Amino acid sequence: MSDKKELVSESVPEWQLELDRVGFLRRILLARKWYKGDWWFVLISGIMLLFIITVGIFPQWFAPHDPREEVGPSLLAPGEETPSFIVLAGSDSDAIKFADIAGRKNKVGYIMGSQATQAMRDTLDRLNTQAEEEGIDIIYQPRGGRYETIDEGLEDLTNGKLDGFIASEEELNVAETDFSNFVRIDELRSSKADSFILGTNQIGQDILSRIIWGTRIALIVGLSSALVSFIVGVPLGLFSGFIGGPVDRILTLFMDSLYTFPGLILAISIAAVLGAGIGNIIVAIAVLYVPTYFRIVRGQTLTVKNELYVKAAHSLGARPLKILTKYIFPNVLPSVVIIFSVNVADAILTEAGLSFIGLGLPPDTPDWGIDLARGQDYLRRAWWLITFPGAMVSCVTLAFSMLGESLSEILNPRLSEL
Amino acid sequence: MSSSLRKFLITRFLLTIPMILILVSLVFFIMRVLPGDPIRSQLGPRVSEEQADRIRERLGLNEPILVQYFQYLKDMVTMDFGNALTRGERPIREELGERLPATIELTLPAMIFTSLFGIGMGSLAAKNRKKFIDYAIRVFSVFIYSIPIFFLGLIFQIVFGVRLDLLPLSGRMSSIILTQFEPITHFYIIDSILQQDWEALRSATLHLIMPSITLGLALTGVFIRLTRVNMIEMLKSDFITAGRARGIPEKRLVYKHSLRNTFIPILTLIGLQMAILIAGAVLTETTFSWPGMGRYLVDRIALRDYTAVQSTIAVFAFFVAFISLFMDVMYALVDPRIRY
Amino acid sequence: MDRDKLVAVKDLSVTYQTRIGPVSAVDHVSFDIYKGEILGLVGESGCGKSTLGKALLRMIDPPGEISNGEIVFEDKDIMQYDDKQMRDFRGRKASMIFQDPMTSLNPVQRVDQHLIETIQVHEKDVDNASALERAGEMIRKLGIGEDRMISYPHQLSGGMRQRVMTGIGLILSANLIIADEATTSLDVIVEAKLADQLRDIRDEFDISLLMITHNIALVAEMADRIAVMYAGHMVEIGDIYDVFEEPLHPYTAGLLGSVPNIQFDASEELYKMPGEPPNLTRPPEGCRFHPRCPKAMPICSRIEPAMTEVEPKRFIHCWLYQDHPEKMLRKG
Repeated sequence: MSDKKELVSESVPEWQLELDRVGFLRRILLARKWYKGDWWFVLISGIMLLFIITVGIFPQWFAPHDPREEVGPSLLAPGEETPSFIVLAGSDSDAIKFADIAGRKNKVGYIMGSQATQAMRDTLDRLNTQAEEEGIDIIYQPRGGRYETIDEGLEDLTNGKLDGFIASEEELNVAETDFSNFVRIDELRSSKADSFILGTNQIGQDILSRIIWGTRIALIVGLSSALVSFIVGVPLGLFSGFIGGPVDRILTLFMDSLYTFPGLILAISIAAVLGAGIGNIIVAIAVLYVPTYFRIVRGQTLTVKNELYVKAAHSLGARPLKILTKYIFPNVLPSVVIIFSVNVADAILTEAGLSFIGLGLPPDTPDWGIDLARGQDYLRRAWWLITFPGAMVSCVTLAFSMLGESLSEILNPRLSEL
Repeated sequence: MSSSLRKFLITRFLLTIPMILILVSLVFFIMRVLPGDPIRSQLGPRVSEEQADRIRERLGLNEPILVQYFQYLKDMVTMDFGNALTRGERPIREELGERLPATIELTLPAMIFTSLFGIGMGSLAAKNRKKFIDYAIRVFSVFIYSIPIFFLGLIFQIVFGVRLDLLPLSGRMSSIILTQFEPITHFYIIDSILQQDWEALRSATLHLIMPSITLGLALTGVFIRLTRVNMIEMLKSDFITAGRARGIPEKRLVYKHSLRNTFIPILTLIGLQMAILIAGAVLTETTFSWPGMGRYLVDRIALRDYTAVQSTIAVFAFFVAFISLFMDVMYALVDPRIRY
Repeated sequence: MDRDKLVAVKDLSVTYQTRIGPVSAVDHVSFDIYKGEILGLVGESGCGKSTLGKALLRMIDPPGEISNGEIVFEDKDIMQYDDKQMRDFRGRKASMIFQDPMTSLNPVQRVDQHLIETIQVHEKDVDNASALERAGEMIRKLGIGEDRMISYPHQLSGGMRQRVMTGIGLILSANLIIADEATTSLDVIVEAKLADQLRDIRDEFDISLLMITHNIALVAEMADRIAVMYAGHMVEIGDIYDVFEEPLHPYTAGLLGSVPNIQFDASEELYKMPGEPPNLTRPPEGCRFHPRCPKAMPICSRIEPAMTEVEPKRFIHCWLYQDHPEKMLRKG
């Protein structure tokens, strides 16, 4: 072993050996001066990706609500306050909160068609669930009294026919009754939060939570399909380039046809036949990128195969598998890493596209494409339905592509100076 | 025409045939051989098994696979696409005959836009490598590439359609004008000029602006990147250095010498990008409710009309193969190394 | 300036900024090129001779740059020229012929277009007809058939392409032609023909020719003077007969000794110089050749020698021919 090393040392100039010994970290810092802008791009996209992947792995840490749950009123604008409803009671009442007048013997009034009923129902659900958990044997289910006008209802509140009355601020403002007889004892909201940072969609789901959970799906689909493409395409490319001959020609013709075929259409066809479901989508998208890996890997294999040092090794009797793994594969690797990066970006876009068309995942999955499709009808009224999911897709795709782009500038020796 | 050019053209033309064959067979394979019973999912559970079987018989689905395959090939060659499975629908060939021009009318301006814009910006970036404008253009191209086409379309719709109310949101022509419009070639722009129907022309053009710019813009990202990479290679080449050594100004070197040489590989790339273009067309048509082949495909899939889906994809395959052929022919004409 | 001198290079340095640090590819080189002479520039791969040639036309691309020195061409220091003046200079006053004529010619341009463009870029008011005429003349002079004017580069043979390149270099009557390994890619017969042609051109037009090559035999045949480079330094320069007869620098001696000579006794071994060219990011202290020099002295590893004129027009870069107080110390 040792004399081999000496042999190497003699032929390799000393300065090169020393460079290898210089620390990895120092090389990265040296690289910054050299690669300038690209270095920063790689760094920024790397940080972005780290963050995105964290969000993808632990969406529950970041999302304030369950993405499928109806947590608020529908089509609430970002930051807009959820409507609250005021609970009035008679000034002589000793109730101090809504629960006090929500028993089975109570009667609570509201205006016909008011959203107050929804708020009441939600609050009652919450109270009941809580009571169940705590083991308290109370059922909150007051009788409801419907009124056409606010004044009628307030009249009944005054004369004791009602224990309480629920109405929104606007509804109360219309009243002509004097409010000095009443006391505001509580405020009800029909949702879990005061407001939602990014608003809610038409079903009342929190958009922020949806897009955060969407990250997980996007990453799963993107990375898995890229991985599958990689696993299928790279060995095929190596094999085909290495073997050559008619096998290579047929395989290349097939792959070229596949490559020129419009990707989305192919994915659409496969998805249409296999049906919805995350596994099928991954397969459909994976098929798309196999030709790309194949072509690049095959091309590189051909180039390296004809390099003199490989021929030398071959003439010295190295076995083909060894040549493949020791010489060809390491040379092919940098390009493949870059393709992988771009592949993931593309896969995420394709998945969003498929979901947008309706071919992707099951309908209620928190997926960006699905959200975009559903939001399309609300273009005029609720711009936030599509803006945020769309921005997320763009950001994540951007991070991956930026990484791939700048890595290719750095790693590709043809293009770098000196 | 020199013999080498002739040889090239003939070879290339002949190569198209196996290519189409493979693509079309691929479609067949996907549709027929993969798991899933198209007839059943199309008809739903209420149709009895007997009835379903009769329909299968009629469509020849009970024959052995090989027989089906050859029947399918025959159908493709004769362009007998059959009828849409949903009752009362028109023969698929007619439907496609109207929709193919719609798609072409959408993609052609997009292609021109992309080529000019993309190649222009790519050259600019290559010429000023590692300077600010290079990074700016690269960021722009990556950015544009990352935005999904349909999202871009939706944003445009919001901004120009809703907020500013400048452009129409969907369709090829406003419905009022459409009722009095007589399409001949189904290229609305051409038809309205032919009939001197200026109202129609105006409407058609307005409707065309947003979708084609969306499509064009979305593809620009890829183009800028490709041009830039090729140009950088080109600018490092020896004959450029030699030109510089005899005092030819930089600008001329970039735009006249490099570009003409870069054009050759780019032409091939344009051909390959057709695939992406069509994918983009599908999404754009869906977003803007543009009645083209892409939209048709999506609609038919939703209705589980596999016959129509199959035929549409086959037409796409033809389209792609011929564009590819066309591009290669252009390539041959431009590169003197092949011409002589 | 001396009436005979065409180019006077003073203290020229070219540095490349690399990831590992600055590389001094050409280090404080000074020499002259006289009018009408053929100067051969030789040395091992990586010694900097090509870089020097490019520097003369200021064609060093980033990350390299000319970090020091003057290049005085016909009494004007071209280091002071702006871009426009340089563009005018290149091709008209001095031009370059490259190693690989296939890649040095634009594949989509015809021969006549190459020549016409060169003319029109420099002389703006020449019309196509007269430019074409001049191009035709040049082609004829170089012995290429006129029917080849409309050919594309790939339709010509290697030798013809190289002659076209030469024609492009000469079409504006430049005073200096730099041939950067111009014959390396040609077979010996074609090479000989081209060499003859270049010599004829020099005789007819009285232009100077800088031949950069590693083919010493060619230089021996063609050049008037020879310059030897090693690791970015010019170590010896002088009249061709003088140098070949008696190489004064140890490196030159070694170089010439390693060229097979038909008159050698077959039993005599070819001289093989020990060691390797140095790493130019950290070149040896003092004289860069000292680690391999059989005649090295202590001072050689500490202080760099200067170019000494040992005879008229004969310069050596070596402590053997230069006096220094320190030489006296520690001798023996």
